[in-house]
Amino acid sequence: MSRSAQTLDPVTVEVVRNKLDGIANEMELTLLKSSFSPIVKEGLDASASLFTLQGETLAQAIAIPIHLATLIPCVARFLNEFPIEKMREGDIYCMNDPYLGGTHLPDIAVVMPVFARGRPIAFAATMTHHQDVGGMAPGSVPTNATEIFQEGIRLPPLKLRDGEVFNDTLLKILRRNVRIPETFEGDLMAQVAACTVGVRRLSALANTYGDNHLTAIFSELLDRSETMTRDALRAIPQGTYRAVDFLDNDGIDLDRRIRIEVAVTVGDGAMTVDFTGSSPQVRGPFNVVPSGSLAASCFALRAITDPRITTNGGCFRPITLKLPEGSIVNPREPAPVNSRTATIKRITGTILAAFAEAVPDRVPADNAGELLALSFGGARPDGTRYVIGELVASGAGASRDKDGVDVIETDATNCMNLPAEALELDAPIRVNRAMLRRDSGGAGAHRGGLGILREYEILHGEVRFTHRGERHYIAPKGSAGGHDGAMARTVIYRRGGGEEVIPSKLVTTLHAGDRVVFETAGGGGHGDPARRTGEQLRADLADGKISREGAASYGVTPSPEAT
Amino acid sequence: MSGDLRIGVDIGGTFTDVVVRRPGSPTRIMKIPTTRSDPSLAVLEALQRMQSEWGLAPDEVARFVHGTTVATNAVLERKGAKVGVIATEGFRDVLEIGRQMRHQMYQLALDPETPTFLAPGRMRHEVPERISATGEVLKALDEAAVADAADALVAAGARAIAVVFLFSFLDDRHERRAREIILTRHPDVFVSLSSEVDPAFREYERTVVTAFDAYVKPVVDRYLANLDSGLLGASVSAPLQVMQSRGGISGSWTARLRPVRLFLSGPAAGVIGAKMAAETAGVRDLITVDVGGTSCDIALIEDGTPALRSEGLIDGYPVRVGMVDVNSIGSGGGSIAWIDVAGGLRVGPQSAGSEPGPACYGRGGMEATVTDASVVLGYLDPDYFAGGKLKLRPELAHDAVARIAGRLNLTVEQAALGIHRILNAQMAEGIRLVSIRQGHDPRRFTLLPLGGGGALHACALAEELGITRVLVPRHPGVLSAAGLLAAPIEHESSTALPRRAEDFDLGEVKHTLHGLDQRCSALMNDEKVERGAVSVRYFADVCYAGQGYHLEVPFEPDAADPFGALTAAFYAAHDRTYGHAPQAPIRLVNLRTVHTAVGLEKLQEDDWFPAAREALIRRARILLPEQQAPVEAAVYDRAALKAGDPFDGPAIVEQNDTTTLVTPGWRGRADTHGNLVLERTSN
Repeated sequence: MSRSAQTLDPVTVEVVRNKLDGIANEMELTLLKSSFSPIVKEGLDASASLFTLQGETLAQAIAIPIHLATLIPCVARFLNEFPIEKMREGDIYCMNDPYLGGTHLPDIAVVMPVFARGRPIAFAATMTHHQDVGGMAPGSVPTNATEIFQEGIRLPPLKLRDGEVFNDTLLKILRRNVRIPETFEGDLMAQVAACTVGVRRLSALANTYGDNHLTAIFSELLDRSETMTRDALRAIPQGTYRAVDFLDNDGIDLDRRIRIEVAVTVGDGAMTVDFTGSSPQVRGPFNVVPSGSLAASCFALRAITDPRITTNGGCFRPITLKLPEGSIVNPREPAPVNSRTATIKRITGTILAAFAEAVPDRVPADNAGELLALSFGGARPDGTRYVIGELVASGAGASRDKDGVDVIETDATNCMNLPAEALELDAPIRVNRAMLRRDSGGAGAHRGGLGILREYEILHGEVRFTHRGERHYIAPKGSAGGHDGAMARTVIYRRGGGEEVIPSKLVTTLHAGDRVVFETAGGGGHGDPARRTGEQLRADLADGKISREGAASYGVTPSPEAT
Repeated sequence: MSGDLRIGVDIGGTFTDVVVRRPGSPTRIMKIPTTRSDPSLAVLEALQRMQSEWGLAPDEVARFVHGTTVATNAVLERKGAKVGVIATEGFRDVLEIGRQMRHQMYQLALDPETPTFLAPGRMRHEVPERISATGEVLKALDEAAVADAADALVAAGARAIAVVFLFSFLDDRHERRAREIILTRHPDVFVSLSSEVDPAFREYERTVVTAFDAYVKPVVDRYLANLDSGLLGASVSAPLQVMQSRGGISGSWTARLRPVRLFLSGPAAGVIGAKMAAETAGVRDLITVDVGGTSCDIALIEDGTPALRSEGLIDGYPVRVGMVDVNSIGSGGGSIAWIDVAGGLRVGPQSAGSEPGPACYGRGGMEATVTDASVVLGYLDPDYFAGGKLKLRPELAHDAVARIAGRLNLTVEQAALGIHRILNAQMAEGIRLVSIRQGHDPRRFTLLPLGGGGALHACALAEELGITRVLVPRHPGVLSAAGLLAAPIEHESSTALPRRAEDFDLGEVKHTLHGLDQRCSALMNDEKVERGAVSVRYFADVCYAGQGYHLEVPFEPDAADPFGALTAAFYAAHDRTYGHAPQAPIRLVNLRTVHTAVGLEKLQEDDWFPAAREALIRRARILLPEQQAPVEAAVYDRAALKAGDPFDGPAIVEQNDTTTLVTPGWRGRADTHGNLVLERTSN
C-alpha cells in the first residue's frame, strides 16, 4: 500500500475510481452520439480520457486499442505551451501535428482544463479521427504520400476557445482547408461537448469530495495501478526477449521489406522496449511517431498482465521506449505517417512475440495481423458517385489451449467488415463468394485461424481501386512447433483475360467485368501438428477447415470414410 | 366462455409466479418452485392448487397468459435442435465468419464470436441460386441441389433447417420453393426462412436470427404443444397466450411458428408490469431496476412506452428481432467484495450467485457479498428474508465482512457501508450510461425497483442520479406475472423496402403496407380478436443516405404529406438519439406494421385495503453512510401502511417479496393503489 493510502478512506477511493470510469464512458458516449461522420459512429475511431495536471492518464474510454495512450504526448505538449497558472475556465486547446505529439493528421486532440475553486485540477481530453482534414486525397490518408504536407492541415497546439470565446480565425482557416466543413465542424463540436461533460462532472466530484482530497485520490489511484503493474511484471522471468517481423513494403518502394525489431527487457518491475535494428524511416506513409509505439507497448503490457488492473497512467510508468531517431518508429519531419495503423499492428504483434519467449504459455502464435484496407470509387449507372471503404480481417494465432479464431480482428484494431448485401445495395459491385479460406491456418496441435476469401466483380464503368494489404511476403509464424499461417494473396482477373498479382499495395483502375479475388492471411499454428488428434482432424475435414491435401501438413492421409 | 378468471404465469429460474385476477375481487398471488425438467408441470400444479386452496375451477378461466424462458434456456443450456443451414452458393460460411469484431479487446487467446455451435461447417450446405441487389433473379434455384442438401442434412441428424439466401428480402420465391422441396421430402423437419424471420439486409445478422429460430423451434413447439394439451386436459378452454420479446402477447400457435421472438418473454412481462404499476400512480416516465444476484437489469419507459430495440443479444450473440430494451450490468446482491494486490477494496464482477450464495445463506459461501453487508448494516431482518422462507445467519455475514475489514484497517460496519457505497456507485454509473445512450437525462424519471433486490438500493441510486422520486410497486416480486395480464395482443410484420428519397412511391408503399396488414389481420383473426378492437400503427426504418444504421420512426401513409412528415419525424428522432440532425437526404430501409388489441378488459390495480394492524412493527438500529453511530429506524409492515400517511427516513419497510430502505432526506407514503412512493425532501 502506498503512503498516501494511509490517510485516505479505501471506500472513497474505490467510489471515485468507479466514477472516473463512468465519467470517461459518458464523455465517450457523448462523443460517439454527437459526432457526424461514419468513421466515428461506426468505426468508433474516437476516445475520451481524463488527465491529471501532471499529464498522466486518470481514466479513459476507448473502443479500439490504437487509442491507448495516444493523448499523452498531446497533453504534455499543451502543458508546455500553455502554463497552468495562465489557464482560464472555459479554455479549450486543440492540435493534430504528429511531430508535436499527435498521431496522424486526421486525429485531432481537444483538451479542456477542469476547474475547482478557481484552480485547474485536471483535464478532460478527447481524440477523434476526422473524416477529412485536407491534403492530396479525400479522407486524408493518401497511400502514395511522401511527405506530411500532402496529408492535410497541420495544427500546432492552439487555443480553440479562450475562456468563453471561440477562436474564429482558427475555425475560418479550418473550414477553408477541409473537404466537408459541416462534418468537420460537427465532429469538432462533438469533442467540445464531450469535454464539457467531463468538466462538469469532474467539477461536481470536486465539490462533493473537496478538490485537495480528490487530487490526493488521483495520486493514490495512479500509484495503485503502478503497484499492480509492477507486481505483474515481476511475475514475468527477468531477461531480454527479442523478436523481428516485417511489413511488406511502404507502397512506394515495393521490393523493400520494412523490418520491425524489438528487444523487450523485463526486470525489477519495469519494461523497456528497444527498437534498435528496426528499419530506417520509409518514403511511404507507414512511419509511426512515438505515441504509436507507446500504444502498442501499453496494449501488450495490458494483455499479458492482470486484466483487473485499472488502466491509467500508473500502468504506463514502468514502460520505457528506446526509439532510434530517423527510424520507422521515430521518423524525422516531414516523413509521411498517415498509414501508420499497419505499422502499429505489426509492432504490437512483434512485442507480443518477444513476450512469448518469456511466458510461452500465455502468448499465442502470431496472429496474421493483416487488416486489408480496400477502397472502391466509381459511378453508378445513374451517374451518382460512390466511394466504398472496407477493412478485412485475417486469422488469429493458435494458443496452447485453443485453435486460432477464423477471420477476426486482433491486436491494436477492432472494426467490423462490410456485409455483401450492404456493398451491393450501395454500389454496382457484386460479391461472388465470401468464404473461409481453407488450409490457410497454420498447422499445429492447435490450428491457426483461417483467413477469408472474397471475390468481387465490377458491374459498371471504371473504378478507382486502392489495395493496402500486409502479409503478402512474410508469413505469420507458428509457435512451439506449429506451422506458419498462409500468406495473403490478391489477384485481379481482367475481363479480357490476364491476371495481375497485387504486390501488397496498389492503386489501379478496374473496369466492368474485372474480378478481384482477395485471400487474407491465416494465423500461426501452435504445437506439433502430429499431436492434433484424429477426431480433431476429422472435424476439420468435415467442416471444411482443411482439405485432404491440407491434411498432409499433419503427416496423415485420412482414410476416405473419415469424411 | 364460462368464466371471467384471468391468469398470468411467469416462469423464472427459481419460482413460477402465478397471478389470478377476477374483476371486482382482490388479486391473488401464488409462488411455486419452478420445475426445471418440464416447466409446464408447475403451471399445471398451479391450476390444481387454485382449485384446492381458493376454490377456483379451471373452467372459469377466460384468459391464460404465459411468460416463458423455454426458448432462452434452450440456448443457454445448448439444448436446442440439431440445425442445418442451406445458403446461397459461395456464402455457406456467413454464420461462422460473422462481423470480425471481438468483444474481449485485451484477451490474447481469443474465443469465437459467432454462434457456430448452431451449425458447424458440416451442417451448412450451399446451393446455386442468386437474386440481385435490385431483386432480379440472376441464377435460378437449383432444385436438385436443394433436395440433395436437405437429404444430406437430415441424414446427418438435422431436426430443423434454416434457409438463408442473399437478397431474399427482395424476392422470397427461392426460399419458399426450397421449403416446399424440403417439406415434401422430410415432412417432419422444421424449416425457418430468413425472408419470414427477418426480412432485412445484412446477411450475417439475418443468418444468425434465422438459425436461432430453427434451433429453438422444435423445443418451443413441443413445450407449448404439451402445455396446450395439459391445459385442455385440465378443462381450461381459454386459448394459451404467450408474451413475446417486444412486450405484446400472441396466441401459442403463432409463437410456435416464430419462436425466436420469445427470448425476452420474461423480462418484457416485467417491463409491462412496471409500466402498469406506475400508471396507477400517474407516473409515465420511469427507469426500472431489477437487482438480482449476479446482475442488475435496467429498462426505460418514456411517456408510458417501453423503449424497444431492433436487435439484442442472446448469450452474447446478436439476434435481430424487436425486443424491450433491457440492459444488464454485472453488479448485484451476490457481487463479491475483494481486495486487490494494491490494497484497494473492489466489489464484483465476480458473484456468489445463488449457489453457494452470500455467506449469510449458510450454504458454504465464505466471501463477503453485498447481501452480507446488508445484514451487517441491519437492513435485512434475518428471520424475515424472502418472507421468512430463508433464514439468514448474521454471524456468518459478520465474519465474512470482518475478513475484508481486517485487511483494510476498517471496522466491520465501515467495510459493510463501503461495500454498499461502491456497489451503488457502480450501478448508478451503469444506469446513467443506459439512459444517456437512449437519449435521456435520468433526472426527470422515476426509479422503480423490480424484483426482490432493488428496493434496498433505490434511495441511494436515486440520489446518485439526481432522481427525486422512487416508486415501489405493491408486489415487485411478481410484477412480471401481473404484467402478462396487462399486455396487449400484438402482431408485427415487416419487410425491407430499400428506396432512396427520390424513388419514394406512395402507391408502392401503401401496397406493401397492405400486404403486411393482411398478414397481421390473419393472425388477429386466428386469435378471435374482433376487427374493431385492433389499432394499427405503421413504422419505417429510416437512415441518412450513405449511413449504415437506421432509426425506427412512426409513419402515417394517409397524412397530407406522408414523406415530408416521415422526414421530419426522422430528423427529430435523430436529434434526440444522436444530438444533431442535418437536413440531408434520407433513405427508406424497412416498413413495419404493428397491430395491437389492447386487453379485452381494462385492467386496474385493486384499491388498497391496508391490513387492520399497526404498521409500525418495531424499531431497528441500522448503519447509514456518513453517520458515525448506528441510528434508530422505524420498521414498517408494508401490508398495514395506510394510504397517505407519510413517514420519514431513516425507515425500513418490510414485505414478503422485498425490503425497502428509506434513507434520511426521503419521505415515504402509500398511495391509494398501495404503491409505496418515496420522495426526496432535501438536497
